[in-house]
Amino acid sequence: MATTKPKSLRKIWGQATPYLLILPVVIYYAIFWVRPVIAVIIGSFTDASGIFTLQNFVMVFNDESFFPALYNTAIIVIVSVTIEFIGALFLALLINRKFWGSSIFLFLMLIPMALPAVATGAMWMTGLTAHGWINSLLYYLGFLAEGEKIYWLGGLQQNQLKLLALVIILDAWQVIPSMMIILLAGLQNLSEEAKEAGYVFGGNFITVLRKITIPILQPTIQTAVILRLISAIQIWLIIVLLLGFGRLPVLVERIVYYHEEVPGLDISYQMAAGYTIIVSVIVSLTALLYLRVSGAFKKEETV
Amino acid sequence: MKSKTNKKVIKAAKETVFYLFLTTLIAGMLLPVYFIISLSFLSTREAYQYPLPLVPAIKTDMELGYGERGYLLSVWDRIDKEYQTVLDTADLEKMEYYIKSQLGTKITEEELLIETSRLENSDEESIFFTKPRALLNNYDTFFTVTRDAVPALIRSLQIAGLTILISLSIGGLAGYAFARYIFRGKDTLRFSVLFVRMFPGVAIALPMVFILAEANLYDEPLGLSLIYSVGAIGLTIWITASIFMGIPVSLEEAAQVFGASKFQAFMKVTLPLALPGLAASAMYIFLGAWNETVAAIILTQFKPTFSVVVYQTLLGASGQVNLAAAGGISMAIPAIFFTFFLRKYINRMWGGVKV
Amino acid sequence: MNKKFTVLFALLLVASMVLVACQPEVVTKEVEVPVEVVKEVEIPVEVEVEVPVASKTLVFSSRLFSPPQEQEFFITEIIKPFEDEHGVTVNFQIIDDQTLLDRADIQQSTDHVTTDIVVAHNSRMAEWIDAGWVEDLTDHVESWDDRHFSEAFVQNTNKDDKQYFLPVGADVYLLLANNKALPYLPEGVDLDSITWEEYADWAVAVAEGEGEGKVCITGIPSKSWVYMFGGTALSFGAGFPDANSAGAMDAWKVWETIGKGNGFVPTVLNVDSCVDPMMREESWLTVFHNARAGQVFASNETEFTLAPAPTGPTGTGSIAGVSGYAIMKDSANYDLAVSFLEYLTRPEIQVKLAKGTGGFIPPVQEAIDYLGDEAIDEVINKAVLVLENGVVSGVPGGDYEDWGAVKACFDDVFADTILTGADVTQDRLDEAQTCIDDLLK
Repeated sequence: MATTKPKSLRKIWGQATPYLLILPVVIYYAIFWVRPVIAVIIGSFTDASGIFTLQNFVMVFNDESFFPALYNTAIIVIVSVTIEFIGALFLALLINRKFWGSSIFLFLMLIPMALPAVATGAMWMTGLTAHGWINSLLYYLGFLAEGEKIYWLGGLQQNQLKLLALVIILDAWQVIPSMMIILLAGLQNLSEEAKEAGYVFGGNFITVLRKITIPILQPTIQTAVILRLISAIQIWLIIVLLLGFGRLPVLVERIVYYHEEVPGLDISYQMAAGYTIIVSVIVSLTALLYLRVSGAFKKEETV
Repeated sequence: MKSKTNKKVIKAAKETVFYLFLTTLIAGMLLPVYFIISLSFLSTREAYQYPLPLVPAIKTDMELGYGERGYLLSVWDRIDKEYQTVLDTADLEKMEYYIKSQLGTKITEEELLIETSRLENSDEESIFFTKPRALLNNYDTFFTVTRDAVPALIRSLQIAGLTILISLSIGGLAGYAFARYIFRGKDTLRFSVLFVRMFPGVAIALPMVFILAEANLYDEPLGLSLIYSVGAIGLTIWITASIFMGIPVSLEEAAQVFGASKFQAFMKVTLPLALPGLAASAMYIFLGAWNETVAAIILTQFKPTFSVVVYQTLLGASGQVNLAAAGGISMAIPAIFFTFFLRKYINRMWGGVKV
Repeated sequence: MNKKFTVLFALLLVASMVLVACQPEVVTKEVEVPVEVVKEVEIPVEVEVEVPVASKTLVFSSRLFSPPQEQEFFITEIIKPFEDEHGVTVNFQIIDDQTLLDRADIQQSTDHVTTDIVVAHNSRMAEWIDAGWVEDLTDHVESWDDRHFSEAFVQNTNKDDKQYFLPVGADVYLLLANNKALPYLPEGVDLDSITWEEYADWAVAVAEGEGEGKVCITGIPSKSWVYMFGGTALSFGAGFPDANSAGAMDAWKVWETIGKGNGFVPTVLNVDSCVDPMMREESWLTVFHNARAGQVFASNETEFTLAPAPTGPTGTGSIAGVSGYAIMKDSANYDLAVSFLEYLTRPEIQVKLAKGTGGFIPPVQEAIDYLGDEAIDEVINKAVLVLENGVVSGVPGGDYEDWGAVKACFDDVFADTILTGADVTQDRLDEAQTCIDDLLK
């Protein structure tokens, strides 16, 4: 019986519950994640002989690729998160209408996210090359004359903005489905009554979306966007796959570059560690900013 | 009466437009997928043609004549609409191998011998013959080269399953705590668990692998699951928390009013409602674990994952993009199956749960 | 349905708790051990990872023979007979150089050595030897008197007069042309003795005739441009890797001619390997790695022509690469590994291997005698011609802090002069040379 326990103990137990629920996560991270991270953090503040220094960060800031990488990353993040969110929300709302065949439609839409990198790599490489399937298709459809070709990955002169746009589109193709499933999962708990009530009181589709659907979906939207934001800042694989290292530098690509392409330099480890710390600071600040602005922390800020 | 039929017509027209729109959307999204699938059935010769054939050929038309070294083999080109020479050799074994590897067509040396004697006995300069294409040739080669593909596939499924298990349980608990309880340091903690994903994984992949090796989990599926869970837990916490938040506490309280304990209320009311979120997380986790190679290559020796054996087969597959396509598709199929089964939990029909 | 899931979730919870509970030793270990000394901690239980006694398994991890058809050949034609003879299993795995090193690192530093034999590229051999991860094989090599490894690669395979790597699968550069380019070949030029200037003129003529450049080089940074250029430079008497000597300047001028004549394929910046563009006929001319050239040639022998790399005043220059077998330090199957290597380096096996895998050069002096006159022998023969009569250099990867960074110095010159149509100036080359020399150990 509850009453036999001293009230204060119960209260403490009650207060401890959330911490107990989170405890496994903390233990897990402590075992597998904390040590390597601390090692990298220490590495970023020491030179090759292990003496404390800030020189690594100076080197990173002086790296001629740093600001282009920062700039490219910023563009990718801003544009891709926006269009991916809009696309994903649109698809999620569409599928949530539960029309006949919506389940199959959902399945088909999810296929891009299920493809492994080796498949998407082969797909885009054979598509975007001058003698690839995209140009072949355009030729069959009559958009390209015989011998005419479009250089999707750029010809002798490469336009960075064009390449960025391409990367964003290819990335969106694979990412929209994954963002959509989170939003769709969130929509499952939005009761039809609430929406109907909105319509009854004279709302049209847009006002119902704005006044009812989106506010209720708020936590899910925050989750979907924050997760996407975090991974968009860390985009690199598709760029390296299509263009190799250094052609369109982005932040995490720089880390991989120092880890894998030029691992032997005296400064390789320091550069990689420096970039890693800078990236994680940038990601956290951006994430924090987004969460503040979107109000994730506001309404429940208590105790 | 008339207006009623009008309404029907309008409704039908609306539906038609709607489904047309959906079809266009799907076609646009899946066009690249079509090409990679089509590519996986093409022969090497066709895969490198420009313009690329839109559908795989089902037969190979060949012409056999006399060349400088021996017999001259030509092949019908569907695009240029002519026979094009490909091989000049006296070695029939070599010709057989060529027809298999470059033209994706199976022919035995005996059959070739028959054709050559037909050529010798005729007055013509060349003879023609047709063979059906071995459409699955690339898959055939892929699974011949990829040794132990099946055990690796099973192992990968185990690893993905285990990763889902670990991440959903550990992450789900924490997600529930963040959604339902108000406690000191909540926002900081919630943000901290996300930081695991913010810290670039590429920078610590190797050191994490070292920890596992030291813990005797080298070459063990469980070891990989543990590594994959590190990133997956943070994700699960956020997804499940946001879903739990969307479920009104009042439902749980209502159940408690009717005599259910807090735990029962959670199990009977909240959890079923959270299924879509769990399913969405599971999908993320599965795909992450299924496709990961970096840690898996270093950490496995006798028990490679499927992604590792695929990587090993395709590492040097330049000049064989059709084979790479077949490998990629083989790897995608289990993931697509998983998606297929999970989709109904994400898009749940209402009415299943009544409180 | 929902009930099922509820039960399932409950199971998940229990299972995960068990999992967490199962790891207590790990937890305590982590807590006790200060960060720096972790690697030295002895974990006593870990030796038992090895193979069951019944049939021995030899783990063979290789960077070489990665194309699927080569893998197939190596497994069925080379490994199989050995397995049958010795009643063992050879676990053959393809892994790239960097991952191979990462894997060795983890195996060596945690005492889980499960790999027995590795095959590394000569540019990376120094890293293996310096780290002490490979066994000294000198005594075994001296006891095999039926074979003598080519002298060309000693600088990579040996250190301090000790042999660690046994060379296999050597390569030089060959000229590969699509026959569609032949009509543009300047009058009176013999393809088997074409000079670099003639090659450049030819490339420009093709570009003018076709309205589009057709020369393929690997334009993606850090691929093989340094080797392609290196071959040209050697033909003009430069050393390797020289960027600014007089000979190197002459070599740059050859490529400058091609650049100014718009001779490169427009997609050159995205070319990672010339195999694909040559097979797609996006490009028609290239000078590249003989095994890859052999691969393209084999896809349609009547459409392609193979020749030795172009020549210059000092001969046919070419970078030669090689891979090497080595036995991992502390391999549990050392004796078996030695007998497998003895088998693999026999001259007749080397020749069989070379023929079956697209035309690598067998780097055993005796092997050259085993060649015939089939089409594949033609590839090997031409390659041997370059290796024997040419001005050949290996890759001095070990002399530099990082070979990838050296490559970048050359990539940069290409990107900002030749590609943009600008002149290659002595100043720019001096800058590149500084870039290279700064990387010297």
